[in-house]
Amino acid sequence: MSEDVTFSIAGSGGDGAVVAGDLAAMACAAVGLHVIKTEAYGPQIRGGESSSTVRISPVPIAAQGDASDALIVFRFADFARFRSEMPLAEGCIVLHEPDDAPPPELAAYRCVPVPFGQLAKDAGAPGAKNIVALGLLAAMFALPVDSIRTAMRKRFRKRDASIIDANFRALDIGFSFPSPRLRGEAKSEGQPRLLMSGNEATAFAALHAGCSFFAGYPITPSTEILQLLGEWLPKIGGTCLQTEDELAAIGAVVGGSFAGSKAMTATSGPGLSLMSEMLGLSSIAEIPSVVVNVQRGGPSTGIPTKSEQSDLFHAIYGGHGDMPRVVLGCSDVEDAFHTTVDAFNIAEEFQLPVIVLSDQLIAQRRETIDAASLIHDVVQRRVPQAPDESYRRYAMTEDGVSPMTVPGIAGGMYQTNGLEHDEQGRPSSMFITHERMNAKRHRKLDAIAEKYPLFRRFGAAVAEVGILCWGSAAGPVAEAIEAMNAKGARVAAFVPRILAPLPLQELQTFIDSCERIVIIELSFEQQFHRYLRSLITLPGDTRVHARSGGKALSVTEVIEAAAVLEEVTA
Amino acid sequence: MTHTATEFRTDLKPVWCPGCGDFAVLNSVHRALAAAGCAPHETILVSGIGCSSRLPGYVETYGLNSLHGRALPIATGAKLAAPRMTVVAVGGDGDGLAIGGNHFLHASRRNVDIAYFMMDNEIYGLTKGQAGPTTPTGDRTKSTTYGNPDPSIDPCALAIACGASWVGRGFSGDVKGTTELMTRAIQHHGFAFLNILSPCVTWRGEEQHKEIRAKTRPVPAGHDATSREAAMRFTDEGEHVTTGVLYEVQRPTLLDELSDIERRARGNGPPPSRADFLGAFVL
Repeated sequence: MSEDVTFSIAGSGGDGAVVAGDLAAMACAAVGLHVIKTEAYGPQIRGGESSSTVRISPVPIAAQGDASDALIVFRFADFARFRSEMPLAEGCIVLHEPDDAPPPELAAYRCVPVPFGQLAKDAGAPGAKNIVALGLLAAMFALPVDSIRTAMRKRFRKRDASIIDANFRALDIGFSFPSPRLRGEAKSEGQPRLLMSGNEATAFAALHAGCSFFAGYPITPSTEILQLLGEWLPKIGGTCLQTEDELAAIGAVVGGSFAGSKAMTATSGPGLSLMSEMLGLSSIAEIPSVVVNVQRGGPSTGIPTKSEQSDLFHAIYGGHGDMPRVVLGCSDVEDAFHTTVDAFNIAEEFQLPVIVLSDQLIAQRRETIDAASLIHDVVQRRVPQAPDESYRRYAMTEDGVSPMTVPGIAGGMYQTNGLEHDEQGRPSSMFITHERMNAKRHRKLDAIAEKYPLFRRFGAAVAEVGILCWGSAAGPVAEAIEAMNAKGARVAAFVPRILAPLPLQELQTFIDSCERIVIIELSFEQQFHRYLRSLITLPGDTRVHARSGGKALSVTEVIEAAAVLEEVTA
Repeated sequence: MTHTATEFRTDLKPVWCPGCGDFAVLNSVHRALAAAGCAPHETILVSGIGCSSRLPGYVETYGLNSLHGRALPIATGAKLAAPRMTVVAVGGDGDGLAIGGNHFLHASRRNVDIAYFMMDNEIYGLTKGQAGPTTPTGDRTKSTTYGNPDPSIDPCALAIACGASWVGRGFSGDVKGTTELMTRAIQHHGFAFLNILSPCVTWRGEEQHKEIRAKTRPVPAGHDATSREAAMRFTDEGEHVTTGVLYEVQRPTLLDELSDIERRARGNGPPPSRADFLGAFVL
């Protein structure tokens, strides 16, 4: 069996499926393994079903595992809710409670009864069946047991020593329980790695970029950003405000930015919808703002706990009027950090709204990254310190960016608005002013396109198949390309990190270098495909693999969509 | 260094109709900013949308005439980001009570350290004469052909109920009185709400000014402004309208609370480093 393994744990809320997954992931990260850990929940606030999937590999990985090599089920009724999103690998070992019979469709797998509950009671920790399971997994997959104990000590540090001891006994009992050995000892024991979620990386990026003001309203799956910055910003003299709604959140960001702070909010689709009008103000009044939108299933309330790539149109086109804004998309946890810092840099330098599109898959999965990779240059706003009589807030410039004074600077006062205005900020309803100012504001996009042609390209240098995708789709696409190219195919991918303005020249070069183009996205309406079509001529035989979100894109799915292996092996 | 009222004037000509109460309010704003000791470059004026929300354009400070209903969240963000600045929000009754009503509740509750002047003309003027939240029940307007079906709100009652720590009412026709109230509102430590009756000659008629003047009377001597019950007696009065400081208490402002949070978050140790923040993500 491969060194690259995936296991899942499913049960009722309170069974500790997620905690067990966390502990395994943290322990493996600490010994230098590469980990991607995802969670899934039912809609219940407490209780209900929950699950956790952990993929562990000695080499870097970019996607959550396609299928689980082992599955722990505390209750099949709970597992049934996840079944369609939790594929099992051929020969998967299914460990379950003896009195809970597996459904017939699982007969194809190796089902092994394990009395988790009873073993936990024997250990003197009746609630610790998840720890018994963790012990079993540690034995089956040769997980670093000492490191698991350290992780448990950290996680349960506020509990009584007697409870921790009982949990250690539960771990040992699970470890000693007869089970198959599926993986040898881990070879790569390197430097400890950080285990971070996309939301955590985004929050850390805000600190790195010098953000001192955050305002937000709780919304799944972005809430962790609000919570973390609420904890962190006061430590460095910054401010975090939980507002009454998203209208107020983006309003406070615009106000804070107008007053001179680097300011950000984070939300998800419904919140972005509410923020649209204020983003127009940020655009016309040229006040920098950063909005992180963590996508989930839509429209309306949609599927709040699962990922989709269907806010693209809203981010790029949402709002009334001709409204220059920048849209960035991040493709993994580390990229969430870099993209968020880029967002601040572009917003501050060019004085416009920047939307970062993350999604639930990136935002709420935990992934190993190197601390050393969390470095990124930081740009500051152009603020004239001693403006003279001739100062004009919206002075015409070549790149469209006019120096921006901030309150406190003597002689820099100006009165601005969301009305069309002249160079001094005075309201104007004249066509000629509107035309000139529209042109000025849109010139910034040309300057941004030139300075920030952000994209990732990977795979073959000359490709028979070129995949176009964005955001979290990039992970499975990268792994699929590696697998296909290992079998002799020549596949490459182009992943724009800046979606608007799109790096058209680089994209065209890529398209020209490929024999065929395949577009892959999690949007039923094919938003990315249609967006590309509006800006660039795609070859007539371009293929599109687009479907609803709610289930992560798999490597197998990408390989099938690329449809290139048949030709290679034929 | 003190500044004169003249230093707060801009040379932009207001768009308001001749006879509009907002001219007098603007005059009071210029005087009050000077009287309160504000410096133009350390003052931020924020408004929403409506006739009265044009006001920041006519005051030489940092000014932002923003979106309909959103003056208060923007002003809150500006104050938190730049606590040394004096921040004043202005707007109309429709802006603050209808589309922006939720923010009014929360700015009052948070006691955010800004002054908020609401120019109340009982009508939507900019869209040419529709009923607003302060339009009396039964009034015929362009949007209420058969009479306004909705009860009107007294903004002062709402502010007191929601937790504003300073609540006053003025009349634009009384420039001296309004200036004094504005000055006190700006100097108040906390959320100071001033409702200014400001007639709309165009859509409420030439008589509105005279009617308000006849109805207003100053808050009686001996009024206990620290009592909510006493203050509430001067709301929804019917026959009369009382002007002056209705309610005034001292309680911690949002900035006070945030300073306290910052002190507790920082503790006594050295400022946190990158490694401190990243420590949560390694074993």
